Amino acid sequence: MTHPSCFHCNEPVLTGTQFVTQINDRDELMCCPGCQAVSQAIVDAGLLSYYKFRTEPGNKQTALVPEALNQFSAYDLPEVQQDFVHSEDNSDSVSLSIDGITCAACAWLIEHKVKQLSGVRQVMVNSTTQRAMISWDKQQVKLSDILGQISRIGYQAAPYQVDEQELTTKQNSRKFLLRLGLAGFATMQVMMFALALYTGYFTDLDVQYRDYFRWVSMIFATPVVLYSAQPFYFSAIRTLLSGKLNMDVSVSIAIGGAFTASCFATVNGTGEVYFESVSMFTFFLLLGRYFEQKARQKASVSSSNLHKLVPLTAHLVNEQGQEEIPAKKLRLGDIILVKPGEMVAADGCVVEGHSSINEAMLTGEQMPIDKPVDSQVFAGTINLEQPIKVKVTALGQDQLVAEIIRLQELASNTKPAVAMLADKLSRYFSGTILTIATITYFVWLQISPEDAFWVTLSVLVATCPCALALATPTAVTCATAIFTRLGIITRKAGVFEKLPQIKHVIFDKTGTLTCGTLSVSEVKCHSHLAIEEVLAIAAALETGSLHPIATAFAAYLTPDVVANQVHHEVGFGVKGLINGTEYRIGNAQFTGALVNPEFINQQIWLAWGNDDSLEVLATIEIKDNIRVDSKETVGILKQQGCRVSIASGDSSGHVHQLAKALGITDVHSGLTPADKLALVKKLQQSNPVVMFGDGINDAPVLAGADLSVAMGSGSAIAKNSADLILLGDHLSRFTQAVRVAKLTTQIIRQNLAWALGYNALILPLAVTGHVAPYIAAIGMSASSLIVVGNSLRLLRIKI
Amino acid sequence: MSIIYVLIPIAMIFVLIAVAVFFWAVKSEQFDDLDRQSVSILFDEDSGKPNPANIKQQEAQDKGMPQ
Repeated sequence: MTHPSCFHCNEPVLTGTQFVTQINDRDELMCCPGCQAVSQAIVDAGLLSYYKFRTEPGNKQTALVPEALNQFSAYDLPEVQQDFVHSEDNSDSVSLSIDGITCAACAWLIEHKVKQLSGVRQVMVNSTTQRAMISWDKQQVKLSDILGQISRIGYQAAPYQVDEQELTTKQNSRKFLLRLGLAGFATMQVMMFALALYTGYFTDLDVQYRDYFRWVSMIFATPVVLYSAQPFYFSAIRTLLSGKLNMDVSVSIAIGGAFTASCFATVNGTGEVYFESVSMFTFFLLLGRYFEQKARQKASVSSSNLHKLVPLTAHLVNEQGQEEIPAKKLRLGDIILVKPGEMVAADGCVVEGHSSINEAMLTGEQMPIDKPVDSQVFAGTINLEQPIKVKVTALGQDQLVAEIIRLQELASNTKPAVAMLADKLSRYFSGTILTIATITYFVWLQISPEDAFWVTLSVLVATCPCALALATPTAVTCATAIFTRLGIITRKAGVFEKLPQIKHVIFDKTGTLTCGTLSVSEVKCHSHLAIEEVLAIAAALETGSLHPIATAFAAYLTPDVVANQVHHEVGFGVKGLINGTEYRIGNAQFTGALVNPEFINQQIWLAWGNDDSLEVLATIEIKDNIRVDSKETVGILKQQGCRVSIASGDSSGHVHQLAKALGITDVHSGLTPADKLALVKKLQQSNPVVMFGDGINDAPVLAGADLSVAMGSGSAIAKNSADLILLGDHLSRFTQAVRVAKLTTQIIRQNLAWALGYNALILPLAVTGHVAPYIAAIGMSASSLIVVGNSLRLLRIKI
Repeated sequence: MSIIYVLIPIAMIFVLIAVAVFFWAVKSEQFDDLDRQSVSILFDEDSGKPNPANIKQQEAQDKGMPQ
């Protein structure tokens, strides 16, 4: 049975024509009240261009709870604001990180929606970093209003603090761009004059014009050598000081040597100039490094958002009742009140009340965990049912979240170092060239002292490692560009070397092979009620519940079935009156159903009646949807000779069911984060292992695997410890990534072979003084251009 | 041929201006979000004006919400 797809989020519409928004005089179908409300808000604000120009569907709006809007009021507290709001004569400004931005149209939509609030002075949304800069007049509008306005069109915004690392990478990346731009402009000019000079070889250019061109070239090349090429010098000096050699050492010597010699030649009017080689070389190398920097910046942005995991405020319980205070002012032993729908502000112990808590951010499992008095709760998890009082037992660095982050850092430090081919090559290469150049100089000093310097220089220029230095970065840059186009973010270097080598893929279950959201898979009716009626009653009962199961029913809500006197029984279910009849939905015990305890995990029951007499009306099976491309991806991986396993924290039979459906035989269930890490370590001994994950609990194992992949919708910490992030949550992107990486290593090998071959060929000629300077320069430029051209072939591959 | 003594310095001034404009553009964060700027021309600026009737309705809704 196929369903039409939601106009807003492209998910299938299961509710018929119940939710409709009129867009451009056409009735468009929506899948749920959330999407309907969001699209209506967009239409009402006159922002229809969003639907016209967006390139990605919107996010499914599952939780549109009024409390969510009220939560923003905490951000209006001056103590909370002082951390991230900058005030300047009556105007406040804040940086927000926004979840759910999928394309440029989203940025436009948010900007225009926020601008409609009076008092907002400036809004700038950056769709690449998913950030917004907003300044407003605090007399006219509150921060909570702005956050509410953004959430009304379906995005979640929260202020963030830029961490130090991100700030420095941002500055570095900007400096790189300046250096690169300057080198680009200067190189264009110098090349122009170089053309005139080369022509001059064959057509007897007057000496005065030749010198003029040389002087002008020198003027343009100077800033390139002194400013643009700085990163190479610093890196060379650092490596030399630590007693090693790298590519940057020979690059620096070549740039410095060629430039100094060219300056002498210009001033004295003798010899040859290499200004265009120097500039172009610098420009190409910088271009490669710039893209590398850019990718790293993207990665550090996501790690900056980690602090959002722990809420900013807490309700402190004291003699006067309760007051809202900033979470960082909490002390050990304080009692805090956590209302339903709120995040727990600190690790602690329940001292009053009984509720269930969603620990998905820690464990990845959506099913809530029952928390009676005396049980542990953790910062960042969400209270679902009843208000509870919690005694704070750990703060700051002692909290479980901080603990997991530390575990992850530890694992990433002990990660096996994969030696990079180009790095190793360059070390030997630089050493060899420098030795040969020195020997050449001393030998020529004996033969003819006046030629010694020039011959040595031509050795350095002709064998200049530019082609070699460009071989890897250009190919990696092109491959990164394809990855970006596919929606794959590379976070660490070396991914392209590692991807083709993988032999074993391990998947986490929830959120990776499955979507991590629950839906109704099967309804068995035991009475006169039709399936639609059962679902409508269930949906009515579950309205207003924060339990993840409630989201599975949200789509079936009908306006004529309304539940009254709804009462939530923690850990059991919900009861309420519909048209005067009492209904219950929940587990077997609560609804009086008699069942085989094995199936309890995935089934819930609908019953009517009261405590004395209950009649079960229907059995509803809930499941976590398998991702559409899971089966296909697993199939392709197996075809390519990879072993595929599942390692899940879930201990229910669902894991085995899923494995069977996907054709995976190696299944490990009920694992703790430490178990998972141990499993990966064990498997690593025989084959390189790739780990897929999404929850915080996966962070250590992601950091410990040879290569780790996080889903775009996963937790920030998981993304922070992964090598690859799949945006848009398409698993099949991974197999495409493997293909691109295989091609990339192939291209890198070709480049290296060419660069080394060329150098091996030209070296004897240069040492014996048979390479005319212009040949050296042309040879060098040509070899780099061939490498760049070869790498560019990557961009043309079809995925 | 001696015209190049005049023309090249003029060209250099142009390059200087171009570099200055580039530096200004980088420093004023114009290159921070390239995806965004490449499509911004597609959006019709006038369409961003809200329908006044809807705004009033929305404000009424906001006030009605529990605080």
